[in-house]
Amino acid sequence: MNRDHRENRGPWYLLTGLIVGFVLGLLYTWAVQPVEYVDTNPASLRVDYKDRYRAMIAAAYQYNHDLVRAQARLELLNDEDLVRALTEQAQRTLGVGGDQAEAGSLGELAAALDVVIAQASGAGSAGISSPEVRTPTHTPEPALTSTVQPSSTATETPESPLDTILPEATQSESTLAVTATITRTPRPSATPSPTPTETPTRTPTSTPAAPFVLRTTQRLCEQNQPGGLIQVIALDAAEAQIAGVEVIVTWDGGEDHFYTGLQPELGRGYADFDMAADVVYAVRLAEAGETARELSTFTCSGGYPGSWRITFQQP
Amino acid sequence: MIAILIGIAGGLFYGWEISPVEYVDTSPDTLSIDYKTDYVLMAAEAYQVENDPALAVQRLAVLGGDPIEMVVQAILSAERNGYIDSDLALMRQLSEALQAWHLQAGQGS
Repeated sequence: MNRDHRENRGPWYLLTGLIVGFVLGLLYTWAVQPVEYVDTNPASLRVDYKDRYRAMIAAAYQYNHDLVRAQARLELLNDEDLVRALTEQAQRTLGVGGDQAEAGSLGELAAALDVVIAQASGAGSAGISSPEVRTPTHTPEPALTSTVQPSSTATETPESPLDTILPEATQSESTLAVTATITRTPRPSATPSPTPTETPTRTPTSTPAAPFVLRTTQRLCEQNQPGGLIQVIALDAAEAQIAGVEVIVTWDGGEDHFYTGLQPELGRGYADFDMAADVVYAVRLAEAGETARELSTFTCSGGYPGSWRITFQQP
Repeated sequence: MIAILIGIAGGLFYGWEISPVEYVDTSPDTLSIDYKTDYVLMAAEAYQVENDPALAVQRLAVLGGDPIEMVVQAILSAERNGYIDSDLALMRQLSEALQAWHLQAGQGS
């Protein structure tokens, strides 16, 4: 009888022991010696802290203009697409009425990175080969797996101001000056995305002291593209697009600010604004200069909405 | 007793080998000192443009503890890790600026 009883309860003792052991293990790991996060890396940061980290990288870039360093730092965050992460954060920042300077810094860094990444990938390289580099830098030791390494021999490459957006205009009516127009693929967000072709080796940045002149005010009619936009392009004196230029759109009872370069796929100096019907807008750049006025929605001859292309240039 | 030990061993094996801890959603104060040092360097670089000690303190506060002390620790770490002189100089400038700002704020209150 007793032997039968022992035989019957044997497996239960084993199971009970396992459960007790497991519970003891949990107690130890949860109560006695809980996990403490130490020596973590930026990739493990919470999303909002990653945003802060990214903003910090962009702020530091404003001082050093060292793309190698900025890219190495950004890669620590393990973003799938560095440029997209920057531009999305810039747009989020503007969207919630955040710090415009911060958004501008993020946009400028995104635009600069977009150029060198495209250039590097075009050359079959895994990273930046010769961007604008100030000095070799120290980078954090742990987990820096970037293939981009600061190089003490990197040199500045000559400036090549040409920046091409695909010149694929479909129709154009009453243009004051004909310039390249953007080939756009409609997206849900109504932000077009052409494929940039040539890219410069160095990113021009806004020169705060130089005023802009209004070079062209152009009506665009592109049947297959979203209309109703004010497209702004900022160029320097050499006709290279400039990222990070603040654009101010005003209308009766309202005003909006945004920056060029937040959609680097459309050009570093590009920015756009959605017009509402029956509202008259004026556009200028914050860094002084002329204003494009009397901009409102219009209908093209085909019955679809057209857009405005406003080009500002530093003399 | 043996079953308990097996249970504990099973728990440890599961926790360390099968499903080890993944660090997600951490905060900057948990970063290793190397990353904190680079973060301080970024703050020092940004300070050169913004010249705003209060903003620098605000940014450094996410690293936990006293921002001024954090900068000092970061400088020591940077020296150990062979940061270039210009970066060290930036961090020292930030350290001095924060200390001056702190003294000024203390006198003002």
